[in-house]
Amino acid sequence: MSPRLKISSYVIERLSKINTDDTIGCLYGLMYDGTLLVVGLSIESFESEKNTYNQLLLNLPGEVELCGVIKFGEHLTMESKLKEILQDVDITDNPLVIIINEKKDMKAHFLVHDKFEETKYEVLEASDLCKQFLHVRLNTVLPLSCEATLTGVKNILQSKRKKIASGQVSFHIDRTSVYLFGEAADVGLTGTSVEATIGELVDSMSPEQPSKKKKLPANHVEVVPVNLVLKTTKDLLSDKLVKTAVKMMTTQRKPAFCISMPLRVDTLAMIHRSTKLLDLYTVLVEASCRSLRLLESVLIEQLGQEGIGDGAGLRLPETFHFLPQELGHFITRVVPKGIPDESMETERQALHEQLALPTNKPIFRRGNAYADQSGGRLVNPHEAIPPPPFKPDVTVALVRGKYTYHHYMQDNFNDDGWGCAYRSMQTIFSWFRYQGYTTVAVPSHKEIQQCLVKIGDKPSSFVGSKQWIGSTEVMFCLETLLGVQSRIIFANSGSELQSYAPELVHHFQTHGSPIMIGGGVLAHTILGVEYNSVTNEIRYLILDPHYTGAEDLAVVISKGWCGWKNSDFWNKTAHYNLCLPQTKPAI
Amino acid sequence: MVRTVYSPEYCLQYLEQYASKEIFVIGLILGQTTSARENVIHLARTPDEKGSDSASEVSYSSDKTDLLKNLLSVSDAWVADHAKHVTRMLPGGMFVQGIFITSDEDIFDDPNHFSKVKSILNYMYKALNVDQYMYGNCPYSNERLVLHMSTNTKVLTCKTVEVGTANKTGLMKPVEWKFLPKAQQWQRLDCYYEFDEVYPVIVKKSGISVKHQFQQILESAHKTIESSVMFIDGELKDGSEALEQLIKKKKPKSAVTKTSQQEVPKSMHVSLFVPFENSLPETVEYLECDGSIHFSGVVSSSVFMCPKATISEAITAVKQDIIRSLASRFTMHCDALIDDNLLPEEKVCFNEPPRRVLVPVGSLYLCDYLFPGEAPAEALLSVRELLDLQITEADVVCDVETPADTSEFDALDRDASSEELLATPQEASQFMYITGICFAMFVLVVSILIHYYDSIVEVIGKLLSRT
Repeated sequence: MSPRLKISSYVIERLSKINTDDTIGCLYGLMYDGTLLVVGLSIESFESEKNTYNQLLLNLPGEVELCGVIKFGEHLTMESKLKEILQDVDITDNPLVIIINEKKDMKAHFLVHDKFEETKYEVLEASDLCKQFLHVRLNTVLPLSCEATLTGVKNILQSKRKKIASGQVSFHIDRTSVYLFGEAADVGLTGTSVEATIGELVDSMSPEQPSKKKKLPANHVEVVPVNLVLKTTKDLLSDKLVKTAVKMMTTQRKPAFCISMPLRVDTLAMIHRSTKLLDLYTVLVEASCRSLRLLESVLIEQLGQEGIGDGAGLRLPETFHFLPQELGHFITRVVPKGIPDESMETERQALHEQLALPTNKPIFRRGNAYADQSGGRLVNPHEAIPPPPFKPDVTVALVRGKYTYHHYMQDNFNDDGWGCAYRSMQTIFSWFRYQGYTTVAVPSHKEIQQCLVKIGDKPSSFVGSKQWIGSTEVMFCLETLLGVQSRIIFANSGSELQSYAPELVHHFQTHGSPIMIGGGVLAHTILGVEYNSVTNEIRYLILDPHYTGAEDLAVVISKGWCGWKNSDFWNKTAHYNLCLPQTKPAI
Repeated sequence: MVRTVYSPEYCLQYLEQYASKEIFVIGLILGQTTSARENVIHLARTPDEKGSDSASEVSYSSDKTDLLKNLLSVSDAWVADHAKHVTRMLPGGMFVQGIFITSDEDIFDDPNHFSKVKSILNYMYKALNVDQYMYGNCPYSNERLVLHMSTNTKVLTCKTVEVGTANKTGLMKPVEWKFLPKAQQWQRLDCYYEFDEVYPVIVKKSGISVKHQFQQILESAHKTIESSVMFIDGELKDGSEALEQLIKKKKPKSAVTKTSQQEVPKSMHVSLFVPFENSLPETVEYLECDGSIHFSGVVSSSVFMCPKATISEAITAVKQDIIRSLASRFTMHCDALIDDNLLPEEKVCFNEPPRRVLVPVGSLYLCDYLFPGEAPAEALLSVRELLDLQITEADVVCDVETPADTSEFDALDRDASSEELLATPQEASQFMYITGICFAMFVLVVSILIHYYDSIVEVIGKLLSRT
């Protein structure tokens, strides 16, 4: 019997946007409860050996496997390449074949006994995907030491994978007493009931009230941290128990170069909430092995490069997880430590193309990585506000991507009454960090002042003062510290500001960065606009840096520190100037 | 509250036996201190000092000829040495808790005698503190027991003396010493801790010190084991719970019947889980190496705890036991080595420290170590000398660990990396090799003596007659 089919809305959305000359794409999905869920896709160009579906699989979360192909065109024919890929589908006996024509009509088929059977499918909405699935993230450090040769690295990683697959390792779910262990061929569980599911465990872990839980952003991705422990004692009851007393053998060899490093394994697996904890063991083993393969490929690639062929210049592989909003699933990348993002552009270009992602903005730079870099600040507080209802003639344009809310009194620094523009600038800066344009840390007030002194805009007495800055200073700093150009808009009054509405809409649609606005004695951050092209009515989504309270989302929203404001929010008589940071196409 | 110590009844007979002969005897009190109860497991008489020549390296003689001794003539170092050797035989959680003395003096009232007692205990304290991995001193208390039986009155007195403090007065506190008519019950905890590590080393011309390598292994094992999580019978337990609670929970039905209560509780299986090292420097190290060390095998661990002890006390004892056993083997191995330097002469070198065997003492087991090639009978010797106990060869449990099969090692080595070796593996362990040579030399000397016996006698006779 062929499985039921669900396709993530992300996949549908992406498919509808792909215009490709390539004829074949690959589909990735996971099985749960008799259902095949398609979560991702890639374009197969067959150009290089590096960007194949086999390699891409290593970048996907554990459990997500190759599940079928996409054929771009009118007719369903069994080409050799298609056949080849279908043979690699292990997750189901009935691989999926989706055909999509130029009009974006899409049909799904299961391959049953070499025949195509058209099948119905259900679309799984993004919010349901987040609700029903969660990720387990395994983090551990394996000490690695071996000869600095290709075979040396390959052998040691193979033996590590063997060790992990042998049942010797156990997994511990962080902050719980739940341990999963492999006993001979069996899997054991302690700390909870054998029947427990991962979803139940996660729910029991968060002690907060259900009412408070709703405060989580709608598309909250649940990640359960897990660590690995090694069983160092032998099973007393095992009949294979070897009791040879400890001994030491020293062997002298020809001198050879060796490398040793702490190999950090950081891997994700995507699982349905109803997954039994007992079944998690094999999931985690698989995910670890996938991660080790990915790490291996990066080490091997480095060793193969000229100049570091002997391993002297080998860099520690670092793992980053990305959750591009276009994809809706994680992509894990391993990059050599210390190599700047700029010099790895070709690899990212290839990945963008393979995943049919836009090539005008960074998605896989270190700064884009899915990680908590908020430092305790609120991330995208505006997402807690319900979006304005859809109305005809009304355009809503919002900031695109993450930023952190910077406001008065943060960092144990009292800037009440003078630091609002600095804070607005910090919010803008954090946006550029989150979008991967930079890895430079968000500057402090003093660093902003030093920057302005350095470029000759301000006298040296400015550093350490409590003087205000305006949108031009913000522009200078962004230019100096980030190389980001900004557009400045001057408005003679609050009412004149209205006339710039189409420009603001355009800004959010093309650049998507937060806007700093200064007027009178106040500075604010604009995160979005709602513009009625018929009535010329406009509302602004404002993030107010004058907030002095704690990092409490509920307060920030309910008291309007972040919220929609009508145009009477602006002083009718004051001058306003806006700094619109511009982005450049980049990968 | 007065400190109470529980002791098996045979210890009383043991003391009386010496006291009735009216001789001076000094020995060690071995036992276990837990928050719930303090148990003595055994009293072991310190062997008589052989002569002045054997200060540190002890070879105990079994002949008890020189009985004319008193407390003041006892060498502090000799008793401390006895304690060091006995500590090797103790499983984790057991310690040398103090000393016993049978004499006709009142050792607590006579200042001379009492200061000698303090001096013995303090010397012992210092000697046991030298190697932290031996866990020689009981970490829970700095008060050591002094048990005295007067040979005149047969009166038994027990007190504690504080050790290791700058305060030389040495606080003395009374102790209630109770003999138990019934044997103390013990909860046994077993595990096999496995090692299997290969790491590159730089041999170059200077070679590698075995002692140094073992020390490093010990340090890293200590760190790893300290960070480990311990499971009992496959489950993570609450550390504050008493061991006996687990036993009760385990068999709720059979516990009702009286017979089962007399049963010796079954051994608990311990498993240790270690998280991977997280403190490594975040860089790739790049070294030219010309050798590798493979440290492998098991340390069998059997720990005996008073059932009232808590889980965390049991966990600490198991961890101590593994490290103490490792440290004991390494020390014994290195003491027996003639040349500490491993390489560069040999291309493959095999170091096989002695293996653990169990020896019964009362209702539990202590341990001993056998070098490769040594028979279980060797263990009888140390039990007699160090524990003052007679056991038979059949009592020694020698299958908790097995000696290494060298051929297995050669195969393993050939397997690991074949043609890169500069030389073929040496067949025997270094130790056996040396033992072999020594034995051959001995045979040679003896045969020479026998062969030339007549002429030697003749020569000696001539020499004597000349004088």
